[in-house]
Amino acid sequence: MPLETPSRVVQALAGRGYNAEREAVTLIAEAESPTLALDAAIEAAPEDALVLTRDHVRSALATTPAPDPDGVAADGASTTEQAPTEGATTEQTPTEHAPTADSGTSTSSASTSSTPTSGASASTTTDPAASASATGSTGTSDSAGTGGGTATADPSTSTGTAAGQSGGSAASAPVETEGSSRVGGRDPPAPGIANDVTGRSTGTGEYDEFVRVFRDRYDRLAGQLRGRVNHRPAEAIQDMPGGSEAELIGLVNDIRSTASGHWLIELEDTTGTFPCLVMKDRDIADLVDELLMDECIAVQGTLADDAGIMFVDAIHFPDVPRTYRPNTADRQVEAALISDVHVGSQEFMADAWHRFADWLHTEEADRVEYLLIAGDMVEGVGVYPNQDEELDVVDIYDQYERFSEYLKEVPGDMEIVMIPGNHDAVRLAEPQPGFDEELRDIMSAHDPRISGNPSTVSVEGVNVLMYHGVSLDEVIAELPAEKASYDEPHKAMFQLLKKRHVAPQYGGHTRIAPEEKDYLVMDEVPDVFHTGHVHKLGWGKYHNVLAVNSGCWQAQTAFQKSVNIDPDAGYAPILELDTLDMTVRKFS
Amino acid sequence: MRPDDERYFARIEDRLDEAFDRAGAAKGQGKDPVEEIEIPVARDMADRVENILGIPGVAERVRELEEEFSREEAALELVTDFVDGAVGDFDSREGKIEGAVRTAVALLTEGVVAAPIEGIDRVELLQNDDGTEFVNVYYAGPIRSAGGTAQALSVLVGDYARSLLGIEEYSARSDEVERYAEEVALYDTETGLQYTPKDEETKFIAKHMPIMLDGEATGDEEVSGFRDLERVDTNSARGGMCLVLAEGIALKAPKIQRYTRQLDEVDWPWLQDLIDGTYYESDDADAGDGEGEDADGEAAAENGDDLAEGESDATGPTGPKRAEPAKKFLRDLIAGRPVFSHPSEPGGFRLRYGRARNHGFATGGVHPATMHLVDDFLATGTQIKTERPGKAHGVVPVDSIEGPTVRLANGDVRRVDDPAEALEIRNGVEEILDLGEYLVNYGEFVENNHPLAPASYVREWWEQDLDAAGADLQALRDDPRMDLADPDADQALAWVEEFDAPLHPTYTYLWHDISVEEFDVLTDAVAEGEVTGGVLALENTDTVRRALETLLVEHSQTPDALRVPDFRPLLRQLGVTDGLRREWEYDDLPAEAREWASGDNAVKAVNEVASFTVRERAPTRIGNRMGRPEKSESRDLSPAVHTLFPIRDFGGSQRSVGEAARERTEHGRGVFDVLLGERICPDCDEKTFENLCSECGTHTEPHFECEECGTVCEPDESGRVECPRCEREVESVDWQRVDLNAEYWDALDALGEREAGFEILKGVKGLTSANKTPEPMEKGVLRAKHGVTAFKDGTVRYDMTDLPVTAVRPEELDVTAEHFRELGYETDIDGEPLVHDEQLVELKVQDIVLSDGAADHMMKTADFVDELLTDFYDLDPFYEVNGRDDLVGELVFGMAPHTSAAVVGRVIGFTSAAVGYAHPYFHAAKRRNCDGDEDCVMLLMDGLLNFSKQFLPDKRGGQMDAPLVMSSRIDPSEIDDEAHNMDIVRTYPREFYEATLEMADPEEVDIRIGDDTLGTDDEYRGFHHTHDTTDIALGPDLSAYKTLGSMMDKMDAQLALARKLRAVDETDVAERVIEYHFLPDLIGNLRAFSRQETRCLDCGEKYRRVPLTGDCRECGGRMTLTVHQGSVNKYMDTAIRVADEFDCREYTKQRLEILERSLESVFENDKNRPSTIADFM
Repeated sequence: MPLETPSRVVQALAGRGYNAEREAVTLIAEAESPTLALDAAIEAAPEDALVLTRDHVRSALATTPAPDPDGVAADGASTTEQAPTEGATTEQTPTEHAPTADSGTSTSSASTSSTPTSGASASTTTDPAASASATGSTGTSDSAGTGGGTATADPSTSTGTAAGQSGGSAASAPVETEGSSRVGGRDPPAPGIANDVTGRSTGTGEYDEFVRVFRDRYDRLAGQLRGRVNHRPAEAIQDMPGGSEAELIGLVNDIRSTASGHWLIELEDTTGTFPCLVMKDRDIADLVDELLMDECIAVQGTLADDAGIMFVDAIHFPDVPRTYRPNTADRQVEAALISDVHVGSQEFMADAWHRFADWLHTEEADRVEYLLIAGDMVEGVGVYPNQDEELDVVDIYDQYERFSEYLKEVPGDMEIVMIPGNHDAVRLAEPQPGFDEELRDIMSAHDPRISGNPSTVSVEGVNVLMYHGVSLDEVIAELPAEKASYDEPHKAMFQLLKKRHVAPQYGGHTRIAPEEKDYLVMDEVPDVFHTGHVHKLGWGKYHNVLAVNSGCWQAQTAFQKSVNIDPDAGYAPILELDTLDMTVRKFS
Repeated sequence: MRPDDERYFARIEDRLDEAFDRAGAAKGQGKDPVEEIEIPVARDMADRVENILGIPGVAERVRELEEEFSREEAALELVTDFVDGAVGDFDSREGKIEGAVRTAVALLTEGVVAAPIEGIDRVELLQNDDGTEFVNVYYAGPIRSAGGTAQALSVLVGDYARSLLGIEEYSARSDEVERYAEEVALYDTETGLQYTPKDEETKFIAKHMPIMLDGEATGDEEVSGFRDLERVDTNSARGGMCLVLAEGIALKAPKIQRYTRQLDEVDWPWLQDLIDGTYYESDDADAGDGEGEDADGEAAAENGDDLAEGESDATGPTGPKRAEPAKKFLRDLIAGRPVFSHPSEPGGFRLRYGRARNHGFATGGVHPATMHLVDDFLATGTQIKTERPGKAHGVVPVDSIEGPTVRLANGDVRRVDDPAEALEIRNGVEEILDLGEYLVNYGEFVENNHPLAPASYVREWWEQDLDAAGADLQALRDDPRMDLADPDADQALAWVEEFDAPLHPTYTYLWHDISVEEFDVLTDAVAEGEVTGGVLALENTDTVRRALETLLVEHSQTPDALRVPDFRPLLRQLGVTDGLRREWEYDDLPAEAREWASGDNAVKAVNEVASFTVRERAPTRIGNRMGRPEKSESRDLSPAVHTLFPIRDFGGSQRSVGEAARERTEHGRGVFDVLLGERICPDCDEKTFENLCSECGTHTEPHFECEECGTVCEPDESGRVECPRCEREVESVDWQRVDLNAEYWDALDALGEREAGFEILKGVKGLTSANKTPEPMEKGVLRAKHGVTAFKDGTVRYDMTDLPVTAVRPEELDVTAEHFRELGYETDIDGEPLVHDEQLVELKVQDIVLSDGAADHMMKTADFVDELLTDFYDLDPFYEVNGRDDLVGELVFGMAPHTSAAVVGRVIGFTSAAVGYAHPYFHAAKRRNCDGDEDCVMLLMDGLLNFSKQFLPDKRGGQMDAPLVMSSRIDPSEIDDEAHNMDIVRTYPREFYEATLEMADPEEVDIRIGDDTLGTDDEYRGFHHTHDTTDIALGPDLSAYKTLGSMMDKMDAQLALARKLRAVDETDVAERVIEYHFLPDLIGNLRAFSRQETRCLDCGEKYRRVPLTGDCRECGGRMTLTVHQGSVNKYMDTAIRVADEFDCREYTKQRLEILERSLESVFENDKNRPSTIADFM
């Protein structure tokens, strides 16, 4: 029986008398050969274990670590910045020219600065095979496995030895043996991925599917609010007598200001709509500024005498609990969160990228075992009129080839997760499935995990919600500048966390493809929320959730100039997964 | 004015008076909202201006100033009057500026358009950052109707007033400058601009603009940068401002410059930079010279591309002067509208100068054979976007120019000068080697201020050359044996022997299109050919054949030989003797001839080897493509309306009054409440919504009662009603109960009509006018009976594409010489008495020709009006039309969109072309030109009886396209001055043709134009033409664009034609169709799909997002999407096929590929998508 889906894995395990942790199942299901992986995992589990854990699977799939190649010199990063660690909603944005260390209660790290030096073999070589041979001469093997696209540990080859092989043979060595080699001290377990639409896009563009998506949104978000209010259906409220107290959970259907300056919010649930009036002089009137159409809120209030309208006393958002305790990794390991690489654009900053990739080969970056890319790998084609005139690489496939080459500069032993963005060659409507086979083949070096937009990626137990961020434009346009702006993109992200939805407003910038559920809802509170798209760097914590909008690798374009956007290009936020502290490194 | 003209106008005005008497009697009965005729007659422009503005004293001052000054100068003079307080009663400085600006716009638009009242909202004084004051002019969308020149001058006037009042200049903040650039670009994408300045250009203008341009938000889309600026109160695009900046200042800079130079107080030195395109970094010299220069070079280059003016210096001494190719006209090419020629491409239309009688005023003359050979895509009135001299032309058929040259499937190459022959051979045409000549009149170049492009060598020029060489031209013309237009070869050669004049054009081949090398090869081939039976036979090789085809040498073909008849002139031009001996060698040619235009132009070489002068046959080719098709159809609201009576949703989707009358409501059959204006009977105080009191039959008046305090109020002079006590606006509209059943059947009874007398009577959902006054139901019944529908103002209208004509034959108008004599025409254009139907007669300025469709529609309208008069008003009928002949001599209104003044016209005949032919001055009086514009005619009596301001929508722009005033006679000085630039001569002088070769400024040549006759006795006559045409309706009656069915058929035809035309690069056409039509459509629809509204199938209610209930919240009905898969991917397969078939760029193909995958991803279920071939088996 093929074991490619988790449920089959669970069945197979159950057949052998094992229960299993979810992650363990995922690991097995995603292994090169799930059948062998499953056997190996059971082998690795102690005789008396009833539950197959993640550790069991990992140890079964694990490879022997190899020593750090001597040839890799310690390149200095130019600047570092540390993000605040705790606090309800602390945030910080670096200024481009004078990055400042964090102030306030958080632990601040001293900025260090040195010019990156090139010349170390690993950092100047882009071809993984060549780099293997170069470093092989020092007696250690390198990341040649990246060339084959099968770096994932495979039980069937896990016993193979690579260390000590000569450089010359490493260059031509069968790739599967490389998977077991130990490089740069990194040995990240594979990230888990949830809420990925890739391969599961079942929508066919029918009316009923639109209904299903919005109902699903309502049901799930309303579920989060139900503990706080005693929801009565809109239809029932319509029949209640004037003056009654009422509580209602609904999607915002309309927001209007009345002639006298009050706010009239129409809420909709699965039975109908009901108008709710927020008086302008109430404290909660400020909250109306934050509302977006089609988000889910709960209101409490009193019906007017004629029972035709509700006077709102309180507004609740699904929100993140203030007491939320994020998950952390149980070892010292880091992830680089980047996005918007835009390879193919004339403005793509190749030098900055080289410096970034070089740095990853340094000892300093030893702990950076994950690279999470939140969309826009390439500049794309036909994204805006006459784009071809501004492209460095006009052919879309060449753009991905080129991107893949750049990706190969990254150490081969890192785990990479990518989701598409609005410039990528996938559908624009969200949720966006991950790249198709043709593009995956092009980018197979490093065997990156390719997932849909949005996706929840679990790295070392930390749940990172990756979303490209098209809705940020809308949040910034709709909300007052102090609540969301391009200069502080993380504040817009806070709003999305508060609404527990990555793109609430329908009918505007965000495009929706109806699927069997609303993939854009944040069912679980993420530990880290990672977006891009607006090309601005900003991060901060909202109820202990770290929101990061990574910058980009594309210098200011003519268009951005015309609309007054000054991008933060060439930065790589580095996240400590065990503490969720963040450092921003500048490579431009 | 000549007595003749006086009589003509008197005749028109007499008939007008008759109509006014009858209509006055009808209106006086009080059955209409107002008891008087609501279209006043304006004596002159000054009257119109004063009426529109409502500023007393303006008319008088305008008349004074008109004596001395041009209109533009008068507008500037008036500024002083306003500033001094001599005109207008304005206390504040902003009021004075506002008055001056409005008056200027009104004057420059001849008091015809609504722009002065609707397009300028207000003028205010704001503060600069240094604390000084500056002027802010606040524009609104309808400023569009003023046109670029008036828009631009309104800014100049504002600035002039500013300087006279001593107010400081506006100094734009840098974010405001950037905002202008972003906003203009946004407006262009959202709405579209005729001319889109580049960002640098916009910023340059914004930086230097001495007054601030501001305006009302017109769109929903907001700018994304530069938001929430302190001095800009909206984040949306301000349409009026964008128009003024882009289509006014940026586009009309040269025109404004003319006037800034005349004013000492106003100095806009930056205009020169704007005109030259040297605005890159111009005031920022520190930015680095090298960079600045590069940018300038680029700007200049692009500017050159855009304006396509001027000669290229590079080829100056070593090649002929040529107009630079300009490809702007190819922009936004869409599917189904073919390209006829790429820019300046050999094989495209050859520029010929002249004005045909149905020509001038933004039109292009095309041979009717060409119209047929381009698969009927061109018809009379079809608009084409053209490379030069303007942007667009209306196509007119002219058969006195040369037709197209084609290669047939059997290899024959021939020129086709006969439309019948064109139709006959059309299926056998393999390639259209040349589209024939394209007639453009001199005035077009004047109007567009375009340097004269080198002229083709044509008969009318050659004749003057011959004359200059000493020939007795008159004798030659009189000699019956001589054919000056198409002489035989011997005659042509005899003339070059005898006179020192160039070779006759008929035998002048297109040497400039072949290279010296090809010339050499062809000479060899000819020398090696042989002559048998009067035919020169050449070896059939690709090079030789292509050379002959390029030269447009007519010949036939056998497998081995190319057979050229009438070959002696060819031999002589090739330097080959009659004995086929080559008399020159390549090396004998002087270097200048060999290297002329880099060796790509053999004309110098020809002149070296021939013993006579050979001129360039077609040095200027004009690229063009189809714009929009011609139009001739009745104007119906959508959906069509017979009566302006509100029936809410009761009439079903058809809005049937009959159905609504039968509908049972809670109040009874056909009884419901609807918003209507309350009226009151002055005699018995009875309140009603009807125009007549149901109690005493007295005419009622709108009743305004304050909702708060119950005070009865009266409207003030401007029509506003305010409660004096509560200071709030009061309206007469209220919910009123209507018994439609009674209304409907009473109306039928009163008219003696039966319900079966018409198919359906359609009403409206609700009224949009301020007082919501309904129309009497009877009018609707009669309209329905006669098959006509009402426009929003109560009139019946028919739309036609405008085309000019200055001389006509009664015969071609399907009328007789007798008809013409009855209308006051006495002589033909040569002064001979008018006796025969085929005599050519000069058209009088207010006479118009109706299309067949318009004539039918006017007859129906006449019947409707007559029955309205007899059965509703109890008066005598006015028209009594039996056949369409009876319409001859009747008066109509001509009325263009965006204007508020109608012009009276008189029907003189009919044409099968789907256009409205009229004197250019008539079109200009409506402020239209003929480049594809269309407007409407209304029957005079219909307008007088049924038009009411009370029906006009109460919103911005509501007063537009409504006959608020009418001009009974055209004063040539008071029309759009574009028409004055039309030339009115019989021949262009030889100096003109020679000047074109130097690409002279058109103003340097003296050719009489309309402007020269203004204010003289000749201002209404003497509109001569240089070219005749057999009939003004030659060629196809309708463009293939209208006769072909689906968009796919049209596009296939378009691409098939692109393949046939030598001057067209079909790959480029396919690319453009995909790029500008298919891709935007696909992308737009896909975007629309994923953010679409949904709609109820039952009640039509729309929802921004699907209701969570799934069903319609209003009626519980079934819901549906508004954008379906079918509408999203309708072009996908075609686009891919076309991209493939026409070998489009990989970039284009990839874009399609990605889109296709996006479509699949959205519309296909991953889980039941067949993954391998096996799944299909």
